[in-house]
Amino acid sequence: MVSALEMAQFCCACSSQSSPLTFIPNSSFNFRSFTCSTTRFLSIGTSSRRPLSLTANLASVHSAEASGVDRRDKKILLEVKDLTAVISESKQQILNGVNLLVCEGDGADEVTAVYIVHAVMGKNGSGKSTFSKVLVGHPDYEVTGGTVEFKGENLLEMDPEERSLAGLFMSFQSPIEIPGVSNIDFLNMAYNARRRKLGLPELGPIEFYGYISPKLDIVNMKTDFLNRNVNEGFSGGERKRNEILQLAVLGADLAILDEIDSGLDVDALKDVAKAVNSLFNLTNSVLIITHYLRLLEYIKPTYIHIMEGGKIVKTGDISMAKVLEQEGYKAISKA
Amino acid sequence: MAAASLLSPHFLLNPKLSIQTSASKFPIPKSRSTPRTRVFSATFSDPFVLQIAETLEDSLSSSSSSSSSSSSSSSSSSLLLQKLRDASSQTVLSTAWPSRKDESFRFTDTSLIRYSQVTPISHPPPSIAISIDTQFPNISIVDGHIVNSLSNLSQLPTGVFVGSLSSLSSETISKRVSEFVANFEGDLFWSLNGLGTPDLVVVYVPAGCRVEMPLHIMYHSVEGGDIGSKKLPVSNPRVLVLVEEGGEIGVIEEYVGGGENKCYWANAVTEVVIGEGAKVKHSYIQSQSLSAAHIKWTSVQQGSSSSYELIEVSTGGKLSRHNVNIQQVGPDTVTELSTFHLSVGDQTQDLHSKLVLDHPRGYSRQLHKCIVAHSLGQAVFDGNIKVNRYAQQTDAGQLTRSLLLEPRATVNVKPNLQIIADNVKCSHGAAISDLEENQLFYFLARGIDSETARKALIFSFGGEVIERLPYSLIRKKVETQIKALLEPTLKGSP
Repeated sequence: MVSALEMAQFCCACSSQSSPLTFIPNSSFNFRSFTCSTTRFLSIGTSSRRPLSLTANLASVHSAEASGVDRRDKKILLEVKDLTAVISESKQQILNGVNLLVCEGDGADEVTAVYIVHAVMGKNGSGKSTFSKVLVGHPDYEVTGGTVEFKGENLLEMDPEERSLAGLFMSFQSPIEIPGVSNIDFLNMAYNARRRKLGLPELGPIEFYGYISPKLDIVNMKTDFLNRNVNEGFSGGERKRNEILQLAVLGADLAILDEIDSGLDVDALKDVAKAVNSLFNLTNSVLIITHYLRLLEYIKPTYIHIMEGGKIVKTGDISMAKVLEQEGYKAISKA
Repeated sequence: MAAASLLSPHFLLNPKLSIQTSASKFPIPKSRSTPRTRVFSATFSDPFVLQIAETLEDSLSSSSSSSSSSSSSSSSSSLLLQKLRDASSQTVLSTAWPSRKDESFRFTDTSLIRYSQVTPISHPPPSIAISIDTQFPNISIVDGHIVNSLSNLSQLPTGVFVGSLSSLSSETISKRVSEFVANFEGDLFWSLNGLGTPDLVVVYVPAGCRVEMPLHIMYHSVEGGDIGSKKLPVSNPRVLVLVEEGGEIGVIEEYVGGGENKCYWANAVTEVVIGEGAKVKHSYIQSQSLSAAHIKWTSVQQGSSSSYELIEVSTGGKLSRHNVNIQQVGPDTVTELSTFHLSVGDQTQDLHSKLVLDHPRGYSRQLHKCIVAHSLGQAVFDGNIKVNRYAQQTDAGQLTRSLLLEPRATVNVKPNLQIIADNVKCSHGAAISDLEENQLFYFLARGIDSETARKALIFSFGGEVIERLPYSLIRKKVETQIKALLEPTLKGSP
């Protein structure tokens, strides 16, 4: 069992080397003795790019809790392999082989449940936002190599709206205004698109209003906000909260929050973090892109990835973030 | 010989030349009841214009002879109308039909009218099956004639007069009206209206009177030729809105009629005189037949500290032209113009506006938006703002945005500011584009497909103007209309 444990122990992050899975060099994980009998070996030797159905057990990263928790099989949510991308117009290379693995959360019950939060940090210009935009399918960027699989499907071949309907949500760093289209109409359109996909009947404006009203409390916004045009005349904090509201209404399997904390004051930040925390259950996962630790104090990250020069160079847990704050990115890249 | 100006090589009479009545090619009809001296010279006038002038005069004289004897009050009104007709006649006969070489018609093709057989509509249709669905005090003008049986003016406050000039009994109002009749010179179409209008509709608001409910003037065009018949019945409705000092009123002008296939020509004139400190909110909705010609003049005179707001939504007409002229006659005025033009078919939507500021501290904002959604569609905008010498501390802004949705759709915009005063704040901007990529992507990123996104964005483009319509019922009606118009075009777009 122990050897299987060693084999099975990996974390959802990769280095720039070509082998898909490696161990985190210097983080301290707590080994748990597993009693679950569904442990299986990973086939690490596979060089093919078939989606790995990971059913091995993940080591818990949250050291404080859940000893002896019954682990269930984990499913891969997002797998990025050697993704390279350029800016469509200038053909300038921005992403240089990003590798990332995001799994669904785990946990046997609500009390001890944890969900997986990945944080991506890095210097300005390291490619963090580009990465998220490429995942979402922004036309400004062109993928030149690598693969991305989302819930087992090839994400790169899907149109942006298909990606969204598949469960990928991205909150924009600077959400743009859409004068003339009200928030409630916009949300209604997006929600009905999802209902159509699931084969459910669409909601009319009144029923939709009934569905959406309780969600407003999650982001601490008033009802009159729904009649305003999308992001028109909104302050920075309101725009970010609007993004989270959209997330609350539409739901997602993987939410990518691109610098959700930029431009937020202390209270707004707490609201947003509280909202994000309350929105997730076991099968969802969050990818946060940020510069600062502040947000990570409210939304505890499972893994922190450092991105530099268009690839993820290091992965660690919250302790790494503290080092980062005190000594800057240089300290991390040296180690 | 007439002075040939650079702009118009056609014959133009030099006004100093003496003009005699002469044996003309066109005989004076004998059925006229009141003899008039016709002042024209056949050799210098444009024959087509002359022909229209003739038929208009004939139809008026025949209808007045067949109507009942006039009462004393209407004699003063008929004098006023006569004055108007005479002045118009002079101008008409010395003006040529506009050609593409005239600056003001450079982009506007008037051949729809020019090559049709123009016949005036001398009476409203005998049986009118028109539904009036409005909650506001309203008056109906059918084919240029006021129809009192369809009007409902019970909710207006006392002192306010709405009705035809011939039914005006108050001397004071009559006197006031006469000060403003025939003292502005528009173009040929203005004068044709003056010549051919059967009666003048007067809306009079006495000093200090705030009219709570807006007045809804509905213009119906019923008579029309079928496509291909070349028959173009013309109507000449004319309205004068006179608001005395401190008065306030909202006016809704709605032009409807005929469905898609009726050909007619609505040649309308609306004059607005706003006294000191008075306010007028003018909504103008044009949804006439897609085969019709619609030419409208709006001439406004703003007294000091007065406020004029125009919100226009024009979607109908094969040829639709709106001429707006606003003259400031006192300082501290506020002028807000918001116009939205939509061409979903083989249509031309034209706005020529002119704002003349001669007094200080005027504030004006103009927003013009147009959508051309057909490859043969066209939109024209000429926005002129004249800030003259004494109009110091003027704050004037103008913005026009056009959306071209089909290849070969055309937009011609000419914002122009002529500034003489030196202490002013003026700005103008024009943008012509397709839908914004970023906004479209935002929709896609939320799972909304491209077609729905385009529909929403196109509709919201006009929304900025439509939401300025002050009455929610009207706004909803217009929104439904626009949605219905945009629907079939979008099915075809990629």
